[in-house]
Amino acid sequence: MLLIHCPYCEEARPEVEFVYGGEAHIARPIDPSAFSDAEWEKLLYIRSNPRGRHHERWRHTHGCGRFFNAVRDTVTDVFETTYKAGEARK
Amino acid sequence: MVDIAEIAVSAAELKLGTEPVQGDGVRLSHADPKARYSLRARDAKVLADVIGCALPGKIGDTDGGIACLGPDEWYALLPAGTDLPRGEGLPVSVVDVSSRALGLVLEGPGALAVLSSGCPLDLAKMSVGRATRTVFETVEIVVWREADDRWHIEVWRSFATWLWNAFLAAMPQAK
Ligand SMILES: [Zn+2]
Repeated sequence: MLLIHCPYCEEARPEVEFVYGGEAHIARPIDPSAFSDAEWEKLLYIRSNPRGRHHERWRHTHGCGRFFNAVRDTVTDVFETTYKAGEARK
Repeated sequence: MVDIAEIAVSAAELKLGTEPVQGDGVRLSHADPKARYSLRARDAKVLADVIGCALPGKIGDTDGGIACLGPDEWYALLPAGTDLPRGEGLPVSVVDVSSRALGLVLEGPGALAVLSSGCPLDLAKMSVGRATRTVFETVEIVVWREADDRWHIEVWRSFATWLWNAFLAAMPQAK
């Protein structure tokens, strides 16, 4: 079973306790009503989808309940690191 | 005409036991009635002052019937009838959730194996006095190791019948 290190619980926990939350560090618009259709499309649907290092959100749903960020390799599925929400991109 | 076998178990046939069940080396029973509180606060000190109890500071630790489940979340299992102050007007959340969950107890040298049959944590490494939210199969539970051979499991009411029967199925020679 894949183990994921939760930066809040500070221990490795089984993957089934977590839920994937999509790409991390996507900034919400300050003034959404001023957004054009093209900007909405970019915000909602366009993702980097890299082959390799991917910054992504996870939630320790069946544990501490917290969202946090992870760097995972999309080829090998190896988690390089995890860090608390709000911390700078690693 | 083709005969269709009946479904082995239907949900309607599952019953939540009321009496303890003794298996080989493990006993399943209901915990004593409890008052349950969900406690939330960004500042633990404010919350501790409101309820007048010490709060464990680290996730997974317990203190006086209160477990720290998350960085701003605690779960209190207190004697039935305990009425905590709510802290109106303060940045805390003190919610009585006594009716939300049931407490089941697995005890005996075989209890660890029964719980491990559906829980992905390495429970053998969990110290006595620690508690955590986790899952049993797909059902969310809170596991509390009360003693070496005694585990208290909190489960939401609607899942309790299934969990009771899942434990029974994992218990050796349950009678
Ligand atoms: Zn966690």
